[in-house]
Amino acid sequence: MHSDDIVISVRDVTKSYRIFGNAGTRLKQAMTFGLKKYYEEYTALKDVSFEVKRGETIGIIGSNGAGKSTLLQLICGILKPSSGTVEVNGRVSAMLELGAGFHPEFTGRENVFFQGSLMGLTETQMKQRFDDIERFAGIGEFIDQSVRTYSSGMFVRLAFAVATHVDPDIIVIDEVLAVGDAVFQQKCIDVVNKLQSSGVSIIVVSHNPYHIERLCHRAAVLHEGKLSELKSAKKVLSSYHELVQGELSQSSDIIASNREGTKEVVFEKVFIETDKASDEDTIQSTESMRIVAEVNAKQSITDVHFRFELYSSANELVTVISTLGLTETTQYHGKHRLTFNMSPCQLTSGWYYITAIAGHKYVRLDTWQRVIDFKVLMKDKYAQDLSMDQGVFISQGQWTFSLQQNDVVYAS
Amino acid sequence: MTNVLAYRLLISPVLLATTLLQHRYLLGQLIKRDVLLRYRGAYFGLLWVFINPLIMLCIFAFVFGYVFQSRWPAHPGSIPYVLNLYCGLIAFNIFGETIGRAPTTIRAYPNYVKKIIFPVEILPLVPLGAAFIHGIFNMIILAAALAWVGHLNASLLLFPMLMLPLIMVGMGLAWFLAAWGVFIKDMSQIVPIFVQMLMFLSPVFYPASAVPELYRPFYSLNPLCSVIEALRAALADTTIDWVSWGIALVLGLVAFFAGLACFNHSRDEFADAL
Repeated sequence: MHSDDIVISVRDVTKSYRIFGNAGTRLKQAMTFGLKKYYEEYTALKDVSFEVKRGETIGIIGSNGAGKSTLLQLICGILKPSSGTVEVNGRVSAMLELGAGFHPEFTGRENVFFQGSLMGLTETQMKQRFDDIERFAGIGEFIDQSVRTYSSGMFVRLAFAVATHVDPDIIVIDEVLAVGDAVFQQKCIDVVNKLQSSGVSIIVVSHNPYHIERLCHRAAVLHEGKLSELKSAKKVLSSYHELVQGELSQSSDIIASNREGTKEVVFEKVFIETDKASDEDTIQSTESMRIVAEVNAKQSITDVHFRFELYSSANELVTVISTLGLTETTQYHGKHRLTFNMSPCQLTSGWYYITAIAGHKYVRLDTWQRVIDFKVLMKDKYAQDLSMDQGVFISQGQWTFSLQQNDVVYAS
Repeated sequence: MTNVLAYRLLISPVLLATTLLQHRYLLGQLIKRDVLLRYRGAYFGLLWVFINPLIMLCIFAFVFGYVFQSRWPAHPGSIPYVLNLYCGLIAFNIFGETIGRAPTTIRAYPNYVKKIIFPVEILPLVPLGAAFIHGIFNMIILAAALAWVGHLNASLLLFPMLMLPLIMVGMGLAWFLAAWGVFIKDMSQIVPIFVQMLMFLSPVFYPASAVPELYRPFYSLNPLCSVIEALRAALADTTIDWVSWGIALVLGLVAFFAGLACFNHSRDEFADAL
């Protein structure tokens, strides 16, 4: 079953921790040579299996405490599995925490060489790479100052520069892309893309869906120690979203705090209608959908504007639908119903949610955060061509191919 | 089961040797760091490497040589008392430093255990390496002092070789204590007391021959004793007791393997415990 193309192979791995009440019980345990059990077991990972091919990028998404870091530590060989096997072929550069091996009292230069030697590179090899590392980190003269004096940004830049310049075969990234400013994040993503094309295998752990979708070929959800199947990032993100939704709906305190405003006009109900008879909550990309809001004005009021903000599951604003541009003014008193027709809805597969806002001049009358969640699926016909199902919306337009003088037009 | 154990015992030194070979630069850097860090930022800087032992030497010379009027019974008049004492101190300091710091060598670097891929077995060897470097400076001072009193001879070159049993015991104990130190915090309190005790129970301030007959067998089991006596014999250019040195070497090898086995046995749990 050995193949050169498989760089990481995790088979039926279970990891449980022994939890001791205090130092004394651990001593007792050691003294009794396992005849008696003085500890409680906590299982962080259960029967996890997957394989990573050369040059592939795998994303693992999961909530806090799902076992993501444990899984990465197992791959790095820092932890040993309680059962099952982890096989890794190649040099691993672990970015579990940026700059974890740096010593604050030493200069950036000294630390770079030290990290290099940790990775098994000789001094001459490091000298060849040093200029690249220095350029990427971009910390100027600080390279010869002790790391203690660095700003946190400089620190992570240098650490990231080293970790990516030591010729790894496999890079393990734990949430570290979340640090640094926007420019640095973009730089990191560029480097990761470059490494991908040079055949480096990457494992990214994140709870940021954006990074997973942006970087990974395949992804899986890790939930309570169990890993789902590796599938396309988009599919995995949608099932992760369902998971998060399920957990959110159980905790009602979050729901209670998602409304604010002066309440002169309130939303009573916001929902989505489709042409279909059955009220499945899944909407096809190609069919029309209507966002309907039922509002109630306690007293007569004019100059009210309404606004729907549509977000993707990654909390990115997709579009804003607003009545602000309309010249017609309506006087509101009592119950009203407003509808916005999106025809067709044009969204790609995934989860979305809507926040509804009613305002009067500069006053917020009612804001209902995340009033509805809905799921969009791309029609089977399109779904076969997965390249269409990326990004957040499907362009409706026309291709034009100029063939000498004759224009040939194809409908999209 | 016993097969696995035997296999492990056999294979572990080989693995260790490959690790050390592979990471020799790393180990060198760590030792360099350790020595430099102690003096970094200090006004006298690396001069402290010399100042420290010189001050100690002066204090011991004053207390034992002048106040207590201690004399070396075995070779009256040949080597000054202070230098015999200093010779014992050199050996003891290497050993004491190594095991005194051992319980915290792993515990103090949770990042190395949990956050990066690191050959943790070399960490307990860092204090030994640093202590050995200090020891070499001490030996230079000793050689200078010997030249001053006109007793310098070539057998001083045997010193590093004669320390071999001590280094073996030191490595073994360092691994053992480092592993235990991870799980039991009290180790870093207990060990320094033990080191203090050992300083007086080893023939540092007195020759082994001054020990009452009744307690001699215990002393022959103490590798520090045989090594210090061998060093002093080399110093005075008299015959070295190779038998007791050999026993110390065997004890050293046993400690080395036992310590390494203990370390390897528990290392998988370091990350869980820290």
